[in-house]
Amino acid sequence: MDFSLTEEQKLIQQTVRQFVERELMPLEHEVLRNEGRYPTGIEPERYRALQLKAKELGFWGINTPEEYGGANLGSVMTALIQMELGRTIVPFSFGGSVDNILLHYSNEKQKQEYVIPVIEGKRISCFALTEPGAGSDPSAIRTTAVKDGNHWVINGQKVFITHGNEADFAMVFAVTDREKPPQRGGVTCFLVDRAMGWTSRPIPTMGGWSPAELFFDNVRVPEDHVLGEVGQGFSLGMQWIGQGRWLIAARAVGTAERLLQMAIDYARQRVTFGKPIAERQAIQWMLADSAVEIQATKWLTLHAAWKADQKQDNRYEASLAKLYGSNMVNRVVDRALQIHGGMGYTKELPIERWYRDVRVTRIYEGTDEIQHYIIARALLKGYVHLGTWD
Amino acid sequence: MKIFVCVKQIPDPNTVESKLDPATKRLVRTGVSLVLDPGDETTIAAAIKLRDSLGNSELTAISMGPASAQEALRRALAMGVDRAILISDSALAGSDVLGTARTLAAALKRENPDLIFCSTESTDGYTGMVPGAIAEFLGLPQLTFAREINVEGTKAVIKRVTQTGYEVVESPLPAVVTIASGSFEAIYPTMKGIMSARKKPFSQLSLSDLGLDPSQVGEAGAREQVLSIGKAEARAAGQIIKDEGNAAEIIADFLQRHQLL
Ligand SMILES: Cc1cc2nc3c(=O)[nH]c(=O)nc-3n(C[C@H](O)[C@H](O)[C@H](O)COP(=O)(O)OP(=O)(O)OC[C@H]3O[C@@H](n4cnc5c(N)ncnc54)[C@H](O)[C@@H]3O)c2cc1C
Repeated sequence: MDFSLTEEQKLIQQTVRQFVERELMPLEHEVLRNEGRYPTGIEPERYRALQLKAKELGFWGINTPEEYGGANLGSVMTALIQMELGRTIVPFSFGGSVDNILLHYSNEKQKQEYVIPVIEGKRISCFALTEPGAGSDPSAIRTTAVKDGNHWVINGQKVFITHGNEADFAMVFAVTDREKPPQRGGVTCFLVDRAMGWTSRPIPTMGGWSPAELFFDNVRVPEDHVLGEVGQGFSLGMQWIGQGRWLIAARAVGTAERLLQMAIDYARQRVTFGKPIAERQAIQWMLADSAVEIQATKWLTLHAAWKADQKQDNRYEASLAKLYGSNMVNRVVDRALQIHGGMGYTKELPIERWYRDVRVTRIYEGTDEIQHYIIARALLKGYVHLGTWD
Repeated sequence: MKIFVCVKQIPDPNTVESKLDPATKRLVRTGVSLVLDPGDETTIAAAIKLRDSLGNSELTAISMGPASAQEALRRALAMGVDRAILISDSALAGSDVLGTARTLAAALKRENPDLIFCSTESTDGYTGMVPGAIAEFLGLPQLTFAREINVEGTKAVIKRVTQTGYEVVESPLPAVVTIASGSFEAIYPTMKGIMSARKKPFSQLSLSDLGLDPSQVGEAGAREQVLSIGKAEARAAGQIIKDEGNAAEIIADFLQRHQLL
C-alpha cells in the first residue's frame, strides 16, 4: 500500500499552501474585523482579484472539465486542495467551478445561460431545497409548480439557502405531481432567475455569513427552465448534496491542523506555575487526541475521494468522512480554545470565530443524525460488508 | 543565451526549527521536511524574468545534493525553469564551501554558460561564499547584490543594492550574478508548469561524470573545519537611564560610542 503523494500532488499542495500563507492569511485580521459585511470576508472585488491571480497560475475550475477551461484535477486532488484552503479563516475558493447538476443535466441553451456564466464568475447560483417544513426530510417539500401554458408557476418558501442573498438565480425544487412520490417523479428542479420575481431575506446566524429565506409568489418560469427532466428533481437534489459531503471533511482537516498547530505553539510558550503548560498531561492529551482524530479524518476523506476517482459509489464513505470530520473539527476547535484560555475567547485570534463557524458542519448537507442513519442503514441492509476491501 | 541558476534544498524554514548536530557540528537535515530554499525561489523568479525578456534562451537549474534534492529541482521546473541538473554522489557528503563550489563549477563548465544566477546566501547555512568561489573556479567576473539585471549586447548590467540606494555595475559575459534577497517578487509554480515538470529534461551526474576525484570534495576535501558551535548570546538586559537632567547627554554619548551618531 502506497500512502505517498505523487510529485504533481505534492507540488500542487505546496503551491496552494504558499498561496494561502502569502495571499490569504495576511487578510485574516481584516476578515475577522469585517464579520458580517461581505459574504466573501473581504470586498468582493478584492476576492475576485485573488481568484483571477490564482487563475493566471492555472488554479481555476479545480473540478471543472477542460472543455470549460477547468483544470479537472479529480477528487483526491480536490480534497488535498480543500485541506490547504481550510487552514485559513478567509472563506476562499478558487474560481471556475459550477454545481455538478448544472454541469451534467443542463441543455445547450442552459449551458450558455447558466453554466458558462457561473464558471466565469458572472452569475451566482444557489441550491434551494430546504423549506420550513422540510430539512432532513426533503420529501416533505411543499413548494409547488403548476403548469400554465408554456410556463410553470411556482409558489412556496425556501429557507437556509446558502448564497440565497447574493445569487441571481436559484435551482429550485418544487412538487410538480402530487400523485407521485417525491422520489419517483413528483419533484422537478427549475432554474429560476431572481428577475422572474423571487425575493430573499437574510437569516442572521451564529456563523460569519448568513443564508437566506426565499419567497416565491406566483413566480412564472418558462418551461425550458426545467433542469433535467420533469419529475427528476429529487434525484438531482440528492446528487448535488452527495458531491460535497466529503469536501466538508477535507476542509475540516485543514482547519483542525491549523488550530492544533496554534495550540501546540501556545502550549509551548505559555508558562503557569513555573512550567510551560505543554508539560502538563492534561494539555498533552488534548493535543494527542486532536492529532489522532485529524489523521483519521484525513484517511476517511482521501478514501472517499479516491473511490469517487475510481468511479465507484462512495456515498457510504462520504458519510463516514462527513460525520467524523465535522465532529472532529468541533472537538479540536474546542480544545484549541481551551488551551488558549482567555486569549482563545477573544476576537484577537480566529479561534472563537472558527468555534462558531464550524458548528454548522454538523447540520448542513445531512445532520449528524442523518449520517448515522445512512451508515447504519448501509450496515443493516447489507450494502456494505465489514471486513472486505470494497 | 544559456542561463543557469544554482539552487539548494534546505530544511523548511517555516516548519523546522534548525538544529545543529553536536557531534558533526552540522545542520540536521535528516528526518525533517525539506524544501527548495525560499531565497532561491526569488532568484529563479529573477532568472525566468530575464530569460523571458531576452527570448531564445534556456534556463537550467543546477543543484548539488542528495537524491531527495530532485524534489527541489522539480519545483524549479514547475516554476518555469527549462531543464535541471542534479549532482549527487555519496562522496559529496560533508562538502564545505570549497567542495561545493568546485563541484558546481565543474558541472557548469561543461555547459558553457553565459550567465549564472545565485542567491546571495542560502537560508540555512548563510555563508554567502559559494557564488564567489564558483566565479573564481570558472575565472569569471562576479556581480553581487543585484536587484535588477539586464543584458546589453555582450555585457551584464545590474543595479547593485547599497546601503543608501544602488550603483549600476556592468561586466562582460559570461558572469556570475548574485541576487539581493527580497528584490524580486516570488512567483508560484503554475498548474501547467506542475503538470509538465516531469516531462522536462532532468539529468543526474556523479563525481566521475565531472572528472572530479573524491579526495577533492566532501568530507575528504574539506578545508573548512567547524571548531565549535554555541548558542547565540542571549540579549543582555537593557540599561535604564533615569532622567536627572542629563539623560539626553547620556543617550547621545551612548549612541556616539556605538557610532550611531
Ligand atoms: C448555514 C446553513 C446553510 C444551509 N444551506 C442550505 C442550502 O444552500 N440549500 C438547502 O437546501 N439547504 C441548506 N441548509 C439546510 C440544511 O440542509 C438543513 O438545515 C438540514 O438538512 C437540517 O434540516 P432542519 O434544519 O430542517 O432540521 P430537521 O430536519 O428539522 O432536524 C431537527 C433535528 O432532528 C434530527 N432528526 C431529523 N430527522 C431525524 C430522524 N429521522 N431521526 C433522528 N433524528 C432526526 C436532526 O438531525 C436534527 O438534529 C442550510 C442550513 C444551514 C444552517
